[in-house]
Amino acid sequence: MPKLRHLVLRRKAIQNIRKITRTMELIATARFKRALDRAVEAEAYTRKIAELAADLSAATLPASAGHTLQHLLLEKREPVRSSLLLVICSNRGLCGGYNSAILRVATERMQQYEQSGVRLYLELSGKRAIAYFRYHGVPSEAQYTHFEDKPRFEEVEVLANRYLDGYLTRRYDQVEVAYMKFLSASRQTPVVETLLPLSTIAPPVRRPGWGTSATSPIAEPTPASLARSTSVVSSTIEYEFLPDPRSILEELLPMSLKVRLFKCFLDAAVSEQIARRIAMKQATDNATEMIRVITRQYNRARQAHITKEILEVLSGAEALK
Amino acid sequence: MPREGLHCQVITPERIVVDERADFVALPLYDGELGVLPGRAPLVGRLGFGELRLRRGEEIKRYYVDGGFVQIKRDTVTLLTAKAVPAHELDVRALENELAQPLAPAATAEARERQQAQRERQRAMLRVAQKQQI
Repeated sequence: MPKLRHLVLRRKAIQNIRKITRTMELIATARFKRALDRAVEAEAYTRKIAELAADLSAATLPASAGHTLQHLLLEKREPVRSSLLLVICSNRGLCGGYNSAILRVATERMQQYEQSGVRLYLELSGKRAIAYFRYHGVPSEAQYTHFEDKPRFEEVEVLANRYLDGYLTRRYDQVEVAYMKFLSASRQTPVVETLLPLSTIAPPVRRPGWGTSATSPIAEPTPASLARSTSVVSSTIEYEFLPDPRSILEELLPMSLKVRLFKCFLDAAVSEQIARRIAMKQATDNATEMIRVITRQYNRARQAHITKEILEVLSGAEALK
Repeated sequence: MPREGLHCQVITPERIVVDERADFVALPLYDGELGVLPGRAPLVGRLGFGELRLRRGEEIKRYYVDGGFVQIKRDTVTLLTAKAVPAHELDVRALENELAQPLAPAATAEARERQQAQRERQRAMLRVAQKQQI
């Protein structure tokens, strides 16, 4: 019976696939938790830097509204002639629409550049992004595949230092990152964020309890929302500054950039695991459904086969009479 | 405010390395060492690279910190640094080897400067590491 056999084999294949997808789902869940813990731990640094920045700007700019601090990293350059775009994707697939969503916003941004005649330097992180742009014949400046689900600060710092150099030597007028921003466990959006020039001194701080709440509103990375986050702590303590507030602040700016970039990578790692978990959960559910359908088909076919054989026996006995 | 010693935190972008109480903290500022006892006036400063010491009773803990900032507020010492390594985890031999290697010729003055800074860091790291051995 070729049909029966065929169904049995198919069912077995699907069962195997389901085993794999279920395991991947479990792995992604575990990795997601770890990545989230890392992101939460990293938050402490960000919060402190923001606090320091608030203290320092209170000391350097007494009674003046907004930041009037002049610094090369804060200045907007008009017009933007060249821009660097870093696209952060994953190394591995099987994570649903994660990579394609990022690549879509990145491509959109690249088209905008092309229309306005901005020279583009493209940098890619993750094999998926590299493969995509290779297929489309877009040359890239640099490619990284060593950022997995545990990005290290030292590795990110190397990149950040290069961007700082490039920005200060006016090779790039602007540095942007396309990645999956993590808003909550149930919501991530692909975004293109401007890293340089810095919109504010301090890196943006997330609201407390951001990892768990599913109700946090979408925070668009506008300068307004970033500016809001700097006004977290305004202390009245009179500090002694060594050497002086200004030079500390100037040291703080590059650090702020590095933390921001680091956060992008952490966000990307968390979002990737979430995307993979969801994709694998769906795959497991689909496999279960498919096994059900095939089992039914198989039972029907077997029943039909038995009925047919009985009929054959009966009609054979009938003929002998 | 009760004087129960200092609360010292060392935070790197990746995690909180140290979060404990101490009687005395010595930290490397950009131009030299700074000792902190309970009751110190609030301070914000730039860190250099070098040794961080935490003393609690008889016990002394030592770390290598690599630049960053320090904030002292209400008997809480917070160090924000890119890197903080416990002194006993530093690898003396690897550092010595690295320092024994001649510097590659630098193309620009900036690259030269960076190399020198890197060297200084390694020397400081080695100093912290060797002190441990004695």
